[in-house]
Amino acid sequence: MSVKTFKQEKVGCNLLEAGKAQPFVPGTKPELQPVWDKDLCVRCALCYLYCPDAAISRQEDEYFDVDDKLCTGCGICHRECWFGAISMQEVD
Amino acid sequence: MDKFSLYAGQFLSFREHFAPKGHNACAGCGVALAVRHVYKALDGKVDDIEKASWQIPWEQNLIVGSDTGAQPALLTISKGDNGEMLQICFDNEAMGKKNDTSVIAKKLPAVAAASGYQYAATACPSHPFDLIDKVRKAWEAEGSAFILVLCPCPVAWGFEPENTVQIGRLAVETRTFPLYEIASGYYSITIDEQNARPVRDYLARQDRFAAVKGKKAEALQAEINNAFAALKDKSKINA
Repeated sequence: MSVKTFKQEKVGCNLLEAGKAQPFVPGTKPELQPVWDKDLCVRCALCYLYCPDAAISRQEDEYFDVDDKLCTGCGICHRECWFGAISMQEVD
Repeated sequence: MDKFSLYAGQFLSFREHFAPKGHNACAGCGVALAVRHVYKALDGKVDDIEKASWQIPWEQNLIVGSDTGAQPALLTISKGDNGEMLQICFDNEAMGKKNDTSVIAKKLPAVAAASGYQYAATACPSHPFDLIDKVRKAWEAEGSAFILVLCPCPVAWGFEPENTVQIGRLAVETRTFPLYEIASGYYSITIDEQNARPVRDYLARQDRFAAVKGKKAEALQAEINNAFAALKDKSKINA
């Protein structure tokens, strides 16, 4: 039995198989991501405060780091850091 | 405990509503930043903030062309038993055409105050603690409340995504978008910069106002000065 497309299904039916749909992956795989210089960072949390993607979180050593999956690479943290502790670098 | 282990962000809710599922906004989205802070401000007060009713969902408002006529996102949370509600409008000015400066004048808070809302305010995510303070005040106000949030949009306004917060701050500092609140009819300006910057600083940073310069910019400056003087007069009644 061939796979039906959604146009062949009746209106109001339940689609039991996902077909070609794929789970949503947040973030847009940015070219540049923030990297913290721990010598310059004073842990003021401005980067945490201004991240629109909630990608920056506090680590156990009280410094901040980025979640690769959520980061969109906008660079707001780099721009807003008063101490120049964040640089945008290419990710592997 | 050394002196750096306490930071201002610790006074906010640690719950992140975008993690781990993320959102589908563009890089540097002002709406996403504003929504994040509004969710943080209301966390613990509203039962389940993510199930609050978006009359115009914010995801719908994200993908904009310059002339799709996208409406600003509107979040409505009912509070109290008598139909009182808290309404937050996330305005990214994406419905304006290019070089159309009429989007700058904001009448909604005054209209809300005139139509019986107990609390009306303007806010911008570039001043997050001001925004959070206003959302909490609006939640605790006795009647209905309305907040207009200006959300810079890198795509529609034409600037680099990393400047989202800076553009928001410029809008406040040039008095194009003054931050004020109207609590039970009384105006008060919450962020009052003593030395306002000229509006051309704000216009020059955005592609959408590329043709607004010279006499047009001066006319806009006069308009903004008048609007701010009127606002200042209204806020004197309170003091």
